Amino acid sequence: MNRRAVIKNLALVIGSATLLPSCLKNGGTPVVALKHLNINPDQENLIGDVCETIIPKTNTPGAKDLNVHLFVLKMLDDCYTKKDQKAIVNGLVELDNMVQKKYNQSFGNLNVKDRVAVLIAIEESAKKQGKVKVPAGRNTKPQKNVDANPLFAFYWAVKQQTLFGYTTSQYFMTKQIVYELVPGRYNAHFPVKNLKQA
Amino acid sequence: MANLNIDSVKERTFDAIVIGSGMSGGWAAKELTGKGLKTLMLERGRDVKHIKDYPTTNLYPWEFPHHGVLPMDIQEANPIVNRCYAFGEDAAHFFVKDKEHPYVQEKPFDWIRGYQVGGKSLMWARQTQRWSDFDFEGPARDGFSVDWPIRYKDIDPWYSYVEKFAGISGNRDGIPELPDGEFLPAYPLNDVESYFSNHVKSNYKNRHVISARCAHLSKPNQIHIDQGRTQCQSRTLCQRGCPFGGYFSANSSTIPWALRSGKLTLRPHSVVESIIYDEKLCKATGVRIVDTQTKETIEYYAKIIFVNAAALNTNLVLLNSTSNRFPNGLGNDSGVLGKYVAFHNYSAHIGAEYDGFKDWTTDGRNPAGGGYIPRFRNVYKQETDFLRGYASGFSAYRFKQHNYDGVGASLKENTVKGDLGPWYVGSHLMGETIPKESNFVKLDPKLKDDWGVPLLSISVDYDDNDEKMKKDYIEQLTEMFTSAGFTNIKPSTNHQAPGLDIHEMGGARMGNDPKTSVLNKWNQMHACKNVFVTDGACMTSTSCQNPSLTYMALTARAADYAVSEMRKGNV
Repeated sequence: MNRRAVIKNLALVIGSATLLPSCLKNGGTPVVALKHLNINPDQENLIGDVCETIIPKTNTPGAKDLNVHLFVLKMLDDCYTKKDQKAIVNGLVELDNMVQKKYNQSFGNLNVKDRVAVLIAIEESAKKQGKVKVPAGRNTKPQKNVDANPLFAFYWAVKQQTLFGYTTSQYFMTKQIVYELVPGRYNAHFPVKNLKQA
Repeated sequence: MANLNIDSVKERTFDAIVIGSGMSGGWAAKELTGKGLKTLMLERGRDVKHIKDYPTTNLYPWEFPHHGVLPMDIQEANPIVNRCYAFGEDAAHFFVKDKEHPYVQEKPFDWIRGYQVGGKSLMWARQTQRWSDFDFEGPARDGFSVDWPIRYKDIDPWYSYVEKFAGISGNRDGIPELPDGEFLPAYPLNDVESYFSNHVKSNYKNRHVISARCAHLSKPNQIHIDQGRTQCQSRTLCQRGCPFGGYFSANSSTIPWALRSGKLTLRPHSVVESIIYDEKLCKATGVRIVDTQTKETIEYYAKIIFVNAAALNTNLVLLNSTSNRFPNGLGNDSGVLGKYVAFHNYSAHIGAEYDGFKDWTTDGRNPAGGGYIPRFRNVYKQETDFLRGYASGFSAYRFKQHNYDGVGASLKENTVKGDLGPWYVGSHLMGETIPKESNFVKLDPKLKDDWGVPLLSISVDYDDNDEKMKKDYIEQLTEMFTSAGFTNIKPSTNHQAPGLDIHEMGGARMGNDPKTSVLNKWNQMHACKNVFVTDGACMTSTSCQNPSLTYMALTARAADYAVSEMRKGNV
């Protein structure tokens, strides 16, 4: 099999993963096959709900519509060290417990306002206490070291990957901005006012 | 070699053998076949055919499994090559993984390799500058290494020859220390790069900021169209291989050209174990290879042999080619083979901002990358407490800045909304290092690779000269940035190991004296006249230009000489 075929097949595999119906959730079957992360379907769904809270459906598609939450799971599973994954999973558990304690229900059952409040509170205290900077959109270099605090580690990793996945999604790069694979030009002296959305 | 008959020997006999298919090997094959020689090109890796074997070239970011990020297990399994800027999800398949061909690091050395047809010419950074006599006369003037056996006038016509074919964009800047070439139109400097260029011109004697010269077809000529290449489309995804042939690579240019002659046999999966020396004929008669797929050992024969295995692997092949006549490696009467290895010092960078040209930006992408500052230190006379000098990259850019605070609908809007930030400027050090006997490669006495070839042991390090030069670069560029009104100037230095510059050179240096050098002024072995070395291994000193263009010119020149000597019956 040549390399192109391998890549194509990989794309098919990922494509099909992203097409799994969401009705599988709560059925005890994982939404996406994970190789390294040891988390249960409820935890996967919690990550999905956090993703959707970060980039919600508005009058345009949200994280779940675009399957960004599955991309985030894939990135957490493939692109972090074991040590960081451990911190991230611990943070996930901590978030779950924290929400249960405070609201007496799961994150997924909170209304949008409460979900946002939970995440904003984490971000605010992370900025005060943590050392990790706010993630930056289309940056293909993932954070090398996640925050030592597991809750912050979880939050920044999911936020980073949600933003990365969303801003590099086909939808975003074709409908929200214009990504040019083949610009065919270089203008060294170009008026800012003529700039298109990019 | 059992059961070989005469026919088989005949089938395995060529006029010329070229070891390696990259930047310089491609040129050797093109030149030798162009002069009518039946040529065998040996490549240790797989074949990579232009366009057909660029699997990622037309992929959008979202079409990569991790949108461009390499999975952690690959990163962790490859600490060395993972340090290379181009080792990403889109191009990792063109780099040698750490475990695929181990080597011994007596001192830390990041050996970045591309084992495939085309070698590293597929993923190179495409910067191309000529040397001048300020470079060729360096060792003699400053008392290090040995005198280069050539001067600028010897290579000038060959620079022109390869530039016309490869396609080099640039301006005729009229700078003696960086001679002009046969240029296609340059990629222009942007507003802040131009501003800095003008500022430096008015405020500093003999300092220049010019458009980077690079191997891109800004405006192709007929000779490039004849190669099947078209205009560079400013994708700046070059490391994936270019479907337009917009930049020069052996795959898009020299190798298909040589194949079209009908004279070239390209044999991938062929690790050269050694060059065969005939004690009676007093010359090399061929090479011994291991087929990496069948593990079979095969001999090929030829009248002349070009060694273009990439600098350090060329050293490895020569050191491993021993005979009664050459017990310490082919052509190694002097004992310098493997020694005086040098590289480029890339261990410093400066960033800053410029508060101006707010109404202006750029559109599209610049394949040249921006500007280039030729060496200005110790050019006309020795003026510092370190030898030689450095070139620097210089570029200015701005991008839209987003507020990624918070979550929800406002964050989502902010992924699109944002204001163009200030102009940022950046420069990086490209310093000459001094070749020394104590910077060397040798064969490991015990360890062997999968093909029975000894592992290369590398012992190369920085020295005081490099430290002083680095300090001077930071001081000078900080001063130039300050006087240009740049703000928030942030110098940074790192401790990257030698090798990560991917400009390793030397080990089989050229020189006039067979007692202190391996090659003569024609890149021909002093002691074995039908063997030519024209890759980075031949370099007597490194200067600070990007070296590929010089390898190309030396190769074309040596091939011309080799064939004329062959026709005269001298080799």
